[in-house]
Amino acid sequence: MINFSNVSLIYPTSTKTILEDLSFSIVEGELVLVIGSTGTGKTSLLQLINGLVPHHTGGILAGDITVDGISTKLVRPGELAHLVGIVGQNPAQGFVTDTVEEELAFGMEALNLAPDLMRKRVEEILDLLALVHLRNRAISTLSGGEQQRVAIGSALVMHPKVLVLDEPTSALDPIAAEEVLSILHRLVHDLSLTVVIAEHRLERVIGFADRIIHIAGDGNAKIDLPEIILKDANIAPPIVHLARALGLSDVGLSVRDVRRMTETIRDTGKDVESVLPTVGAERILAKDLTIKYGSHVVLKSLNVSVRAGEIVALMGRNGAGKSSLLTALVGLQKPTSGTSHICGKASTDLKGGVRRETVGFIPQEPSDLLYGQSVDGECAQGDKDNQIAPGTTFALLQRIVPSISPDTHPRDLSEGQRLALALAIVLSAQPQVLILDEPTRGLDYQSKALLISLLQNYSKELGRCVLIATHDVELVAELADRVIFLADGEVVADGPTLDILLSSPAFAPQVAKVMSPRRWLTVSDVIAAMEG
Amino acid sequence: MKSLHPLTWWIWSLLIVGAVIATNSAWVAGLAIAVAAISVLKFAEDAPWAKSFWFSLRLGAIILFIRTIVGVLIGVPIPGTKLFSVPILPLPSWIAGIRIGGVVTQERLLSSIHEGLIIIAVICLFGAAVSLTSPHKLLRVTPVVIYEFGVATVIATSALPQLVQSVGRIRRARTLRGDENPSWRSIAIPLLEDSLARSLELAAAMDSRGYGVSRKRSRYRPIPWQQIDSAVIASALSALALALVLR
Repeated sequence: MINFSNVSLIYPTSTKTILEDLSFSIVEGELVLVIGSTGTGKTSLLQLINGLVPHHTGGILAGDITVDGISTKLVRPGELAHLVGIVGQNPAQGFVTDTVEEELAFGMEALNLAPDLMRKRVEEILDLLALVHLRNRAISTLSGGEQQRVAIGSALVMHPKVLVLDEPTSALDPIAAEEVLSILHRLVHDLSLTVVIAEHRLERVIGFADRIIHIAGDGNAKIDLPEIILKDANIAPPIVHLARALGLSDVGLSVRDVRRMTETIRDTGKDVESVLPTVGAERILAKDLTIKYGSHVVLKSLNVSVRAGEIVALMGRNGAGKSSLLTALVGLQKPTSGTSHICGKASTDLKGGVRRETVGFIPQEPSDLLYGQSVDGECAQGDKDNQIAPGTTFALLQRIVPSISPDTHPRDLSEGQRLALALAIVLSAQPQVLILDEPTRGLDYQSKALLISLLQNYSKELGRCVLIATHDVELVAELADRVIFLADGEVVADGPTLDILLSSPAFAPQVAKVMSPRRWLTVSDVIAAMEG
Repeated sequence: MKSLHPLTWWIWSLLIVGAVIATNSAWVAGLAIAVAAISVLKFAEDAPWAKSFWFSLRLGAIILFIRTIVGVLIGVPIPGTKLFSVPILPLPSWIAGIRIGGVVTQERLLSSIHEGLIIIAVICLFGAAVSLTSPHKLLRVTPVVIYEFGVATVIATSALPQLVQSVGRIRRARTLRGDENPSWRSIAIPLLEDSLARSLELAAAMDSRGYGVSRKRSRYRPIPWQQIDSAVIASALSALALALVLR
């Protein structure tokens, strides 16, 4: 179905070869996973499939790519629209209409399909992706996860033979991610759809993959079965790390496999106690916070408090009101009623340098914080704003991602690098409170580990408080002290991470599923229990 | 109110622009701006692009200001009532007829403001059309005759709405970074870059969705041309006719 022969790709502004002499073929009905560190060219590889690279991005392409026998060199991306559906990393930037139904119909309209056929297909997709109740909503009012489903739907509605997805689950909660992946799995098996997915959260997709393409970052790439690639790849889901740490002979890819291999281990060791850390003064305090958009109530008189030295994770399904809560806490949005205070000051009154030193906020879209024309410029602005020695912010950035070039335009960075840049700028002011909205979107395991240690140091050594809204249960398991669980604008659970994560299988990390009923969340928990 | 056909406001504003230019009167220009403002206040939906009109109004005001200063100081003097005078900048003798500085007359000031107002009216009417029409809806009804032309139309029609959204985005970023009063210079270039890049992204997204491949497009839910559309157009047509008669 997809054939790459001796493909090399280089962008004219960069000296680094993205792909070098890559040859592989993907057969019909295969689900192929593309893995690689942040910024290694996964997105480029995906966009090569429908010709967006190099038709829209520029770049020098050698070799040939064919999809269903059609060479992408000879046709424009539009002429492959009936064949290849593509869902970008950031669906919000790819929407071309205003409402959900129009968006789903757009591609079919462009291809001049008959109206009754369109109606039928739109209904099918609305049902398939559980979007029926959103059909007339304006896309800009949807939550990140809902937008992601609309984007996937608008690709699927064209009945493509190939579906290309760039981090399709990054904005989805664990349950929604599971749903989307099972739909893809079914389409692969029932309709022999060919699917290519790039994803960082391997724990979510690994069970569905037939083969893996591993992009090394130096231009080389390997394609093979998951078991073989994961045996020695530096990118691996927690379940593989567990197998490695326990010295198991095989790498299991599903919870079931590893459970069978670890029966004896589950009978030994001691449980982890759930303890809340000793914390300081109250930093974030929201009282009776209510937010309404028109008649739609997003938050229902919510009470939240976070103390210094605490790392709190805010979890909940897509559209539960997490982002609304965060924007109200940082003072971007005036609540309909109730109050929100940070360090004793009303959130909406925070201005200038006081704001920088009180609260740092990384929005869901880190680029929303950036407006400079180069990484260097952004960092210099950060230094200037905070009156710190020139180069401090850039040095901090290099600690997070060493390979970043100072002349790059923030737009040309990968999602992970952009997050690192935003984080460096915000942290350079050393705010008392750090609030992050979905920070692990687009981050590979290495950057995630770095983020975890960075935030832990920040919170524990400096006694600052960190609030993270996230869907990433693995991150929560590693990082958070406490979890606040939101549903439909209300707090439904608030307690130590261990208790909350173990209380429902949907929001449990992989290791906990393997080790259930033992109370271990992470690989290091298991190892500590074995040793102690 | 059920929303109008996306082309209605565009045709309306083009006709009014015609009327303003035909009469060449500052009063008509002012009236047109007022009517546009009322229409936007009354009919614009709560959408990001609805702010385009106010943005264009502000842009117009800046243009009027600069134009008036330049128009008063540079050029051929117009005789009349003297208001005040500024020192004349000595220029080499070979550019005779052009003068920088000198006596500022009431006539000269008025003619500068008059010309400026007409330019503002044109900009504002364009802004009003953008404010009142969803750029996405407009693209759905724009015929794609030539593919390249289609992509260019996407970029052109989405540029102003994107610009307005980028202003909001950058202002928000500034607020979050505790920098409430940034200089225009530091914002202008990122702003243009941001909005143009987003327009290009939109074009790429439309391209990969098959936009412009088929000459004919089917309609999922056809956007009907209603009587109210005809009424809006008729009002603008009569304004233009009146302008041409009274000229």
